[in-house]
Amino acid sequence: MTPASPLAAARFRAIVPPLLDDAYSLAKWLCRDADDAQDIVQEAAVRALTALETTAVDRPKPWFLAIVRNSAITWMARNRRKEEAFAGGLGELEDLQSAEADAAPDPEATLIAVEDGARLRRAMAALPAPLLEILVMRDVNGLSYRDIADAAGMPIGTVMSRLARARGALVRSMKAEP
Amino acid sequence: MSDSASDPRRLRLNAALDGELDAENALAFERELAADPALAAEYREREAVRDGVRRHAPREPAPDALVGRVLALVAEPSADVVPLAPRARASSHARRLPLAASFAALGFVAGVALMSLRAPGASEGVASGLVSEFARAAVAGQPFDVASSDRHTVKPWLAGRSTVSADIVDLAPQGFPLAGGRIAMVDSVPAPTLVYRHNEHLVAVTELPLTLAGARAANGIETVDGFHVARWSDANLGYVAVSDMDERTLAEFVAAFREAGKPGAAGKAD
Repeated sequence: MTPASPLAAARFRAIVPPLLDDAYSLAKWLCRDADDAQDIVQEAAVRALTALETTAVDRPKPWFLAIVRNSAITWMARNRRKEEAFAGGLGELEDLQSAEADAAPDPEATLIAVEDGARLRRAMAALPAPLLEILVMRDVNGLSYRDIADAAGMPIGTVMSRLARARGALVRSMKAEP
Repeated sequence: MSDSASDPRRLRLNAALDGELDAENALAFERELAADPALAAEYREREAVRDGVRRHAPREPAPDALVGRVLALVAEPSADVVPLAPRARASSHARRLPLAASFAALGFVAGVALMSLRAPGASEGVASGLVSEFARAAVAGQPFDVASSDRHTVKPWLAGRSTVSADIVDLAPQGFPLAGGRIAMVDSVPAPTLVYRHNEHLVAVTELPLTLAGARAANGIETVDGFHVARWSDANLGYVAVSDMDERTLAEFVAAFREAGKPGAAGKAD
């Protein structure tokens, strides 16, 4: 890699270091492995530095998390078996949709169950990747719907329905027998 | 309530949870919530899940090793000196001139009468760019990238970062000890800059090749944005000294700098 120009390096120092916690957390949820997450974020940082040679960035957080997300997808496609690859799981979405027939809401049961952090994290990890990434960008990274739509490259309507499904699935999972 | 995730009411419920509703829709939702116990129950359980995720799956700090690897992507090349933390160099108008040429012997007799400076166009751009770098460095409390009073330390540090091999004069006997060196960015190109100290004040001397627009300016001292700027040149380079010293002290510094830089002068580093 050729050394970064001073301008790109200055942009990079202003944008990327403050976002590394967010980037690492997102990558770790997406690939589910702490070491792999580091490699993904490193790769994303290299891509970001290259892009900053020619780009001034308006909203750094969705911009960099989009790169992290894409790096994760590429990384998974390259290093994981196909059925585990991040891009998959759309079939599961259909199943999930047909399973949306909720029992009547019982907030008390959920309220108790979500106190079990380990169980909640397991339930998150069991979400199909296309739902999980939206949930993580919203509730872990704290992105707005608009920023998620930018970072994930999809319409806001899709973001909203996937987020609704993700939370619905978590509610069901937390209410089920452990 | 409908079971579909794309049911408009369920989407609105989530949007309300996420603070994404505008005032009008938020009010409408409040009314709906009050009138519909099933909706209110669903709202509470989703709220519990949202809060649970935030509490039990918080953002994690990136491991130190990762942070180190990422910062290394934009690290300055290391030298046998202690580098200070990287400094943001975002000043847009400090990037006017490319730089080449070598720092040869400083010619000319010192003590030239300094006169008021009227340099037009590019020359003023160079001065104001360097003044803003000086001001920013001073405000940041980091007026140099390599802190050393040893010119044999500063010289190779600068040489490794620019195309210029800077001769550095020792002005400590004249009351201007070397404080360090840094690279000023002029039109995205590194220009070696020597920083000298005088009591509580600093003076930063940036060296520019005469082939560059704006490098050559009439000898003299002017005031730019509250800082004094002295300009002079010799056969090879243009010099811009930016300082918060008073004008008379800066003139003394310039005279000492030019005298020491003459070929064969006692204060020259090899």
